[in-house]
Amino acid sequence: MDIVKGYEEEFNQLVDIYEKNTEDKSLRNPAVATIIVSGNKVVGLNSVKGMHINSKVRGDGLVIIDVDIEDNTVIPIPVHLCTGFLKKQGEQILKFNYMIGNNVKVKFKSHCILTKVEKLHHYMESDMYIGKNSHVVYEDEHFHDERGGVFVETITKMKIDENGYFASKFYETKTRVGRINVVMDIELKDNAKANLESKIYGREDDIIDIKEILRLNGENSSGIATSTVFATDSTKAHVINEAYGNAPYSRGHIECNEIVKGEGVSVSTIPVLKVNNEKAELTHEASVGRIKQDQLETLMSKGLTEDEAAEFIVNGLLS
Amino acid sequence: MLTLENIKYSKNSNDIIKGISMKFEEGKVYGIVGNNGVGKSTIGYIIMGLSDYRVNEGEIFLNERNITDMPITDRAKNGISLLWQEPARFEGMSVKNYLMLNKKIKLKEVEKALDLVNLEPDKYLNRLVDKKLSGGERKKVEIASCVLLNPKFLIMDEPDSGIDIMSLDMIVKIIDYLKERGTGVIVITHRKEIAIKSEYSYLICAGKVFLEGKSDKIVKYYEKTCDTCGHINYAEEN
Ligand SMILES: Nc1ncnc2c1ncn2[C@@H]1O[C@H](COP(=O)(O)OP(=O)(O)OP(=O)(O)O)[C@@H](O)[C@H]1O
Ligand SMILES: [Mg+2]
Repeated sequence: MDIVKGYEEEFNQLVDIYEKNTEDKSLRNPAVATIIVSGNKVVGLNSVKGMHINSKVRGDGLVIIDVDIEDNTVIPIPVHLCTGFLKKQGEQILKFNYMIGNNVKVKFKSHCILTKVEKLHHYMESDMYIGKNSHVVYEDEHFHDERGGVFVETITKMKIDENGYFASKFYETKTRVGRINVVMDIELKDNAKANLESKIYGREDDIIDIKEILRLNGENSSGIATSTVFATDSTKAHVINEAYGNAPYSRGHIECNEIVKGEGVSVSTIPVLKVNNEKAELTHEASVGRIKQDQLETLMSKGLTEDEAAEFIVNGLLS
Repeated sequence: MLTLENIKYSKNSNDIIKGISMKFEEGKVYGIVGNNGVGKSTIGYIIMGLSDYRVNEGEIFLNERNITDMPITDRAKNGISLLWQEPARFEGMSVKNYLMLNKKIKLKEVEKALDLVNLEPDKYLNRLVDKKLSGGERKKVEIASCVLLNPKFLIMDEPDSGIDIMSLDMIVKIIDYLKERGTGVIVITHRKEIAIKSEYSYLICAGKVFLEGKSDKIVKYYEKTCDTCGHINYAEEN
């Protein structure tokens, strides 16, 4: 592990918070590829065979990180990306460029540690190219400050080449959201597959925006985008799922479930399905509303109170 | 002892239950039979106290205690439970978590209950209780869940529906098992094999108890008569 000289303290602080929240010790493990960013500084970098990471910080504070993975590389242990912010307020702007070669297998675990921030705009833009026959999994988990002053924007654009596979999980369920804007725009070539899943738990006056787009441009490409939002108190949530069937035998399914609890919530969902090829097939499912009465009463008939039942159901949904 | 006294229930000005009285003791098995739509499930929901099924008239007693206005959770805590005719689905919830009920029940017991309903624990613990479980599998999981609660009274609403013939024996076994442990089992069923397991049965017709008595007699009468009966008439005549 290369801890960048002079940043040892920030590195340790971030890793400590991470370990406390996740009970995962791999950030200090030299066999694990890691990228650790604190504020506008890259404080730790560790590469493994077949993977090249370069970082630079522009004068205006923009952090640019290039991740290249060579053809035919299989990375057995997940790559850890950890971005944190240890000052009380400010702005963090990150740009990730991923070039993933052909026949690669890799999993990324990304964590945003923004637990001690009063007011922050965290903006992360990612461009990812996934080569032919490659298999990429990206899990993103967020930990935000309980006072709700964090505004996270993560914008991902992606191209999946022939027969490639991408799965993502975006979770912000354990701590308060603040405000969040997630955009995922995925283009799929022939036989490529994508599976996007996001789960967000809104509390107090959180604001949640999700937009997931599947562009099924390749023959026989397929994609699923599922969003689950649990909106409590006076959370506002707006979810847009789009799927474009542009090629023969392309198949897409989008699904949005928003569960509300609380008088001040305001949630909406807009599905967009557009078929430009008669052999494409798109479906969608959406539900917006309270937890179903029969679910609650099933658990109440086993002795749980209504609140316990609701929590039990939501924990299942968001796990 | 669980008693219903002259229960009446209507929904949207439809009289669905029109004055029903019943008596159930712990450690005994009771049958509720009758054609589709006569109000059998409704009786189950009323006993459980579901929010949409508050009675308009009549009273429910559990060992002399009037529970007519008792909320569902408290009824459950006092030992009443319900096996739903169509159990709800829970997205994202594993069979294991569902049966452990938020760690209220030990994994060992959960595994034993799955064995009892002929579901291999290794295969099913990590399945989800969602739409992907087949109707029969979901029902079996729910039977396991009810057994784990060790209730004083269990209403089983068509425990056999959706379940293959091979599993009928399992249900009969479960009813015996519950009975041995002192549960009063109230079985709503269309199936003779199950109805005759009970000692005492109620034949429901158009929201009323039409006949009650020893199960073999009731089942015989039901088989002979109700198949061809236009049974709606009964209610109107009375
Ligand atoms: N919420 C409701 N609103 C209006 N009518 C209802 C409602 N619930 C039940 N009913 C009516 O009450 C009657 C009794 O229904 P119930 O489900 O108790 O019948 P059942 O005897 O269990 O039938 P089955 O054998 O088909 O399960 C039916 O005619 C049904 O249509
Ligand atoms: Mg019924």
